[in-house]
Amino acid sequence: MRVRDSLLAAVAILAAGGLLSLGLADYSLRLLNLSVISAVAVIGFNVAFGLAGLISLGHAAFVGMGAYTLAILTTKLGWSPWLAAPVGVAVTTLFAALIGYPLLRLRGHYLALATLGLNVSFTIVTANWIALTNGTNGISGVPPFAVAGLAIDDERRFLWLGLVALAVVAAAAVALQRSRHGRAMMAVRDDETAARMSGIDVTRTKVAALCLSAAAAGLAGVLFATHVRFVAPEDFNYAHSIVYLAMLIVGGEGTVVGAVIGAALLTFLPEWLRGLGDAYLAFFGLMMLVILIFLPTGLIGLVRMAARLRFRRGAVATPRGAP
Amino acid sequence: MLAAEDLVVAYGENVVLHGLSISVAAGETVALIGANGAGKTTLLRTVSGLAPVRSGEIRFDGQPLGRRAAEARVRLGIAHVPEGRRVFPGLTVAENLILGTTPWRRWGQSYAADLDRVFDLFPRLRERRGQLGWSLSGGEQQMLAIGRALMARPRMLLLDEPSLGLAPRLAEEVYERIREIAAAGLTILVVEQNTVLALAVADRGYVLENGRIVLAGAAADLRQDVRVRQAYLGR
Repeated sequence: MRVRDSLLAAVAILAAGGLLSLGLADYSLRLLNLSVISAVAVIGFNVAFGLAGLISLGHAAFVGMGAYTLAILTTKLGWSPWLAAPVGVAVTTLFAALIGYPLLRLRGHYLALATLGLNVSFTIVTANWIALTNGTNGISGVPPFAVAGLAIDDERRFLWLGLVALAVVAAAAVALQRSRHGRAMMAVRDDETAARMSGIDVTRTKVAALCLSAAAAGLAGVLFATHVRFVAPEDFNYAHSIVYLAMLIVGGEGTVVGAVIGAALLTFLPEWLRGLGDAYLAFFGLMMLVILIFLPTGLIGLVRMAARLRFRRGAVATPRGAP
Repeated sequence: MLAAEDLVVAYGENVVLHGLSISVAAGETVALIGANGAGKTTLLRTVSGLAPVRSGEIRFDGQPLGRRAAEARVRLGIAHVPEGRRVFPGLTVAENLILGTTPWRRWGQSYAADLDRVFDLFPRLRERRGQLGWSLSGGEQQMLAIGRALMARPRMLLLDEPSLGLAPRLAEEVYERIREIAAAGLTILVVEQNTVLALAVADRGYVLENGRIVLAGAAADLRQDVRVRQAYLGR
């Protein structure tokens, strides 16, 4: 069942993305790629926030960590992106483990503030460590991935790379959610004391959640760097962390599908509503309020509610968890 | 099996347990009774590692527990069913139970037999296995909390106010199950304000007042004791 759900999620993502790639113009493809990258990051964010209940507001720093690591290794040391990518993910994960032990002693809004501070520090460091990061000018000339001599340097080719990465991450996230480790994270989220009484090592579970969350973020960063081919501090400032949070809330906290829907919607919505101009922010704020008040489980909750109404007669109990 | 000696427990300046000693032999069911604030819950929390010992010692199977963490004590075989059940609201009944196997289960080991045993003890949980924790009634949550503790394959069960907030008939049902668990040979230490119920299943009892043991003895004797009858049985 675990395997089936994981495969289902992966296949659905590849099929939907593949279909879209046929019909879309180049600019829409670009947005689609950005939403795929965001979806990878938000699925990771969901592991920390949705599963383990860690209010982390520094997710963009992890994305930036992956992006900068790849950019520096490829441009300064001439590494192949294929070699730099796993190193980028590993560096990000290791970084999360290092800050995890001290940071995760904090709870609730203290953790939120500390991670927000981490994100701000990341921006300041990348803007000022000029020898390594080129400061606010950013690092340009990041090489694209290449497969058998074919550079993945246009939107349509990149989409396939992004979709494969997203499918793998989504499948892994669904599997995690259904595993004992995923359940342990949810137990820690629901009640730390009761989790300890059940024999769960709370600190280790939280650090593991943060590390997995950071690994996905690092991958998103690696994708971002090779897609835009340029990294700069403001691409990873704390506002992006808030956007990841908003994407997850809109889509549906605690679910992989919700993370994907939220990432896509909040990437395309500003374009669809370009006519609103600056009023978009007001619309966005209003939309968040409406969702928080009327749809606390996000859009995915709406889908489930509809499904439940249709199948009410047959349903004995509704087990949690579409993938 | 369990022995606490001269236990002093304090939260800051506030001393809750004043040098208290109790013991529970293997296979025994022991009740701790007393009014609100007597220190019953604190004693259980100290045994399971959730409250720090200021002085004195707790031994389990002759081995001092020292500063061992709560999650390590579960692995030794001490399972605590906390006051107010504290089931995981966002997890299903089955997931709550499976989490209980954390202390002993290694990769690939089966918990099916454990799950069946709990479902046989509490058939209601079997019916509701796919339902989320928060959606259960108080009685069902109590059964789930006890079931989750049993999934840990404990050698000793700590029960904190299992009848709290339950209708009398439900409370009796829960105690009927506790009696079955005890009859199967599990060692139980139960804290309870409902003195009648607790002394009906227990072999022995301690009466706690203001963090001190004021009375101890066989449950049958305590039921007849004038002081117990006046203070806790209202007769």
